[in-house]
This record gives sequence, structure tokens and C-alpha cells, in this order.
Amino acid sequence: MERNRFQRILSAAWPRFLAVGILLGIWQLLVVIGVQSPGQEPLPGPGDAIGEIGYLAHIGVLFPALFQTLERAAVGYVLALVLGTLVGLAVVRVPVLRAGIGSLLAGLQSLPSVVWVPIAAVFLAIGGQVEYAVYFVVIMGAFPSIAMGLMSAYDNVPPLTFSLARSMGARGPGYYRHFIFSAALPGYVAGMKQGWAFSWRSLMAAELIIGSTANAGLGQILDNGRSLTDLPEILAAMLMILIVGIAVNDVIFAPMERGLLRRRGLVPA
Amino acid sequence: MNVAFARRPAVLTVEADDAFVTLDGVTKVFGNGKRSTTALENVSLELNQGEFVCILGASGCGKSTLLSLIAGLDKVTSGTIHIADGRPAVMFQEPALLPWLTVRRNVELPMRIHGTDTDARNQRVNHLLSMVGLIDFADHRPHQLSGGMRQRCALARALAQESELLLMDEPFAALDALTRDQLHDDLNRIWQETGKTIIFVTHNVREAVRLGDRVVLMTPRPGRVAQMWDVEITRPRELDSFEVSGLAHEITMRLRAGAVSNGAE
Ligand SMILES: Nc1ncnc2c1ncn2[C@@H]1O[C@H](COP(=O)(O)OP(=O)(O)O)[C@@H](O)[C@H]1O
Ligand SMILES: [Mg+2]
Repeated sequence: MERNRFQRILSAAWPRFLAVGILLGIWQLLVVIGVQSPGQEPLPGPGDAIGEIGYLAHIGVLFPALFQTLERAAVGYVLALVLGTLVGLAVVRVPVLRAGIGSLLAGLQSLPSVVWVPIAAVFLAIGGQVEYAVYFVVIMGAFPSIAMGLMSAYDNVPPLTFSLARSMGARGPGYYRHFIFSAALPGYVAGMKQGWAFSWRSLMAAELIIGSTANAGLGQILDNGRSLTDLPEILAAMLMILIVGIAVNDVIFAPMERGLLRRRGLVPA
Repeated sequence: MNVAFARRPAVLTVEADDAFVTLDGVTKVFGNGKRSTTALENVSLELNQGEFVCILGASGCGKSTLLSLIAGLDKVTSGTIHIADGRPAVMFQEPALLPWLTVRRNVELPMRIHGTDTDARNQRVNHLLSMVGLIDFADHRPHQLSGGMRQRCALARALAQESELLLMDEPFAALDALTRDQLHDDLNRIWQETGKTIIFVTHNVREAVRLGDRVVLMTPRPGRVAQMWDVEITRPRELDSFEVSGLAHEITMRLRAGAVSNGAE
């Protein structure tokens, strides 16, 4: 049983190792052929970047920054989830809102989240205090896809489910709990997952631009590397940002989605 | 064997009050203006409690429309529908099981909605699952069941609603002949055990004759009642028995004649 589980994890993981291997190979190749910046700085290789991550950890910069960023991501994402869900529910429940807000949401979703950074910096980043501005950018970046996910999840509930609920005389909370929410759940989770991707991107844009030396996050390490033209630091920060994005998806969202779909017989067990 | 009878004379108003289900001049028009479709025109029908009535007709003649009107899922354009007792239970052509629930959970859903307490619920679900032969599959999910088992589960769920009236919309149409035959036997037995009143819609003449106390033939565009037959063949019936084949043949002849004269009465 235990061995089985291990084998399963291994067989699920190897394509990913392969993909990472290919990526690192291409990177190393660029280093070997001697890619340089115009200022004659050689491109650091994967080994240098990983070494730099170790160094940043050693001097006590990496983990505070990582936790700072994760905290912002978590708080911002939860706020975006709440707002996106409320807006999505309102649009689904009130037909008048659907026509107007529906298309507005699609527009907001396609708006690059950096666009929100200047206004957030001017209005919300007061006296070195950047948290509100960062949350604002994350929320604006992530909530439209969560609301849109909920909307399309509701629209894709099969009409027969509505008929069934009515023929059983379900109404009020029972109608939503037993039928509509449960039927819409996979679509909603897909929206949550996409919302995470958007909030992670928005957070990086915000951290990179609204710098703060007091509460540096991963984005500020990246910005710091740029201003010092410290290429290993830049690549170390990029690598960390990529790793966190993948890890959150793989640890939280992907299993959640897979479990849901498997129980419904929508993916092979 | 066949008593082809027209509507009973209007003298019998007292008897009309005794009927369990009464449809009086039911008409349903979809859309309006030039693009409107008259799905049903002046359909009148009475069912006694405990009766098994099969509504027979080619596809498009308004059978599903009729059932959803009786189920209260849609409104009549004119006419009245009266049911002596509460909300009917419905079985759709597709099993319509909720894929995120186990068989047991699907069956107990109507009771959950109506707040039946846990003990009574468990007891009743076990009883129903045994009745439809799914007790060993209680913890399976719908996607793990065969087509016939899914319809059994849907039947158990419909019975769990504790409605005296059961509406069935071509529930076995998608099943293979062997499975269908088995489900006919089971449905016949369950009907006799429970004494439900059943309206069973089908486009299969033999199925109608095999199951029904009465067969109501409908003609399409607009959907109307063409003729009714009382089926007085002893139960349980065999699909290929002489009596079933005989009456099925007679109804098929009538159906063909109707098609030639374009459904005109
Ligand atoms: N919601 C609807 N809107 C418009 N026309 C409909 C609708 N439902 C059914 N019809 C029409 O009513 C007629 C009867 O349909 P239906 O009751 O589904 O027939 P059956 O179940 O006997 O095959 C058909 O001509 C169909 O096109
Ligand atoms: Mg139909």
C-alpha cells in the first residue's frame, strides 16, 4: 500500500523532473555559449543561482522575505476570494447586474495588474507603509477571474439539475447547498486556481514597483538585484518566485481539483 | 380484450372528484406568434389511485411536456391539472443522479431536503436499496454503475420522495433489451408492492402494453389523445407473450392509420 503510494507519486513526478531538467539544460547552454549583458556581465548558471539562494538564506535575507511575501499573498488572495465570490454571486443572482458587470469583469480580467500599481502607490502607500497598496493590487488582479469562474460554473450547471431540484421541492438554502453549489464546485475551484495565478503575478508587480526596505519581500530582492546589477541575486529571486508559484498550485489547488473531478468520475481514478 | 373508450360522459362529475389525477382540457403552446408550437391540445385524462397508465406516442408528440406540466415544472397555457395528493415524484429519461454523491446519498436526498430524521432515513434508504437490488452498491458513485443500475438508483430516489404519484419519462429507453426486460419485471413488482399511481411515458408499444393498466395513445403536432386501451392481461406479463403481442399489434396498426391521416381524429 505504502509502496504503491510512493510509486504513484514517483510516476506522477517524473515528467515534471524532466521538464525542469530541460529548462535547466537550456539555461546552462546559454551560459556555456557565453551570453553576456551589454555591460560584459556573464549570465550566471543554475548552479550560481542556487548558490546565491543558499547565500541569501545564510545572511538571513531569504526567509524573512519569503514569509513576508507569502503572508501578503495569503491575505491578498483571501480578500480577493471573498470579494470575487460576493461579486460572482451577485451577478449570478441579479439578472440586471449580469449584463453590466459581466462584461466589465472580462475587461478587468484582461487588464495587466501593473496598471493598478501607480494609483495604489499614490493613494495607499503612505509613509513607508506599503501593505494596503500591495493588497489592493493583488485584489484587483485576482478577484475578476474568481468572479468569472463562479459565473461560468453556475452557467454550466446542467438544466436537468435545476429541474431535479424543483421536482423534489427543494427551495432556499437546501436548493443551493444540495444542488447548485455542489454542481458548480469544480468550475468554482478552477476559478480559484486561476485567481491564485493572477494574485501571484499581481503581488510580484506590486512588490517590484512599490519598494519598501523595511518589509522586503521576494519582489524587493529582485528589485535590489536589478539596482545593484547583481545578476546571481536577480536569478535567485526569479527562481524562488517560480518555485513558490508552482508549489502553491501543486500542493493546494491541483490536488483539490483532481479530488473533486475524480469523485465525480471525470478523470480516471 | 380491448375496450377502446372515449371520454366518460360528463354526468359523472362525482366520479371526476374521486379521480386521483385529473387533466382537463390541458393545452400547452410554446412561444408566441408565428413561431409558436402547440405541443399539447385539449388533453383530458383521469387516473384512479394505484393505476398504472402508459402514455404512448412517437417522439415530439408532447409526452415530456405533459409530464413536466403534471410535475409542476412548467405552466399550462390553458386547462387545469388537479392532483389529489401533493407533489409527484419524477424519473427523467436520463438518470439525473448527482455525480458527487454516492448511491445512498442520492437516494436519501429527497428525505434530507424534507428534514427526515437520521434513523428513519437510514432505515428507509436500506429498504429502498434492497427493493431495487442496489444494497451492495450503496457506497458506489454513479459513474461506477451500469446504465440499468443508474436507473434503479433513480427509481429508488423517486420512491424515497414518498409521493403517491410517480411520473416516469421514457426511463428505460436508453437501456439494452435484456436490462430493460429485467427492469420491467422489477417495476411491475415494485408497483404491486407499493401501490403507487404511475404515469409512464414511452414510445415503445410493447413496453406500454407490458406495463400498463391502460395505454393512452397520443398523436403529434399538436399532441392529442387519440385513443385509449384498457389492458386486461394478467400480471406478471411476458414481453413476447401472445396477449401482449396481440394488443401491441393492434395499437401499432392504429398508430400507422393515425400517421397516414396525419393524426386527425
Ligand atoms: N421549451 C420548449 N420550447 C419550445 N418548444 C418546445 C419546448 N419543449 C418542447 N417543445 C416542442 O414541443 C413538442 C413536444 O415536445 P416533447 O414534449 O419533448 O415531446 P416528446 O417528449 O413526446 O418527444 C415538440 O415539437 C418540441 O419541439
Ligand atoms: Mg420526451
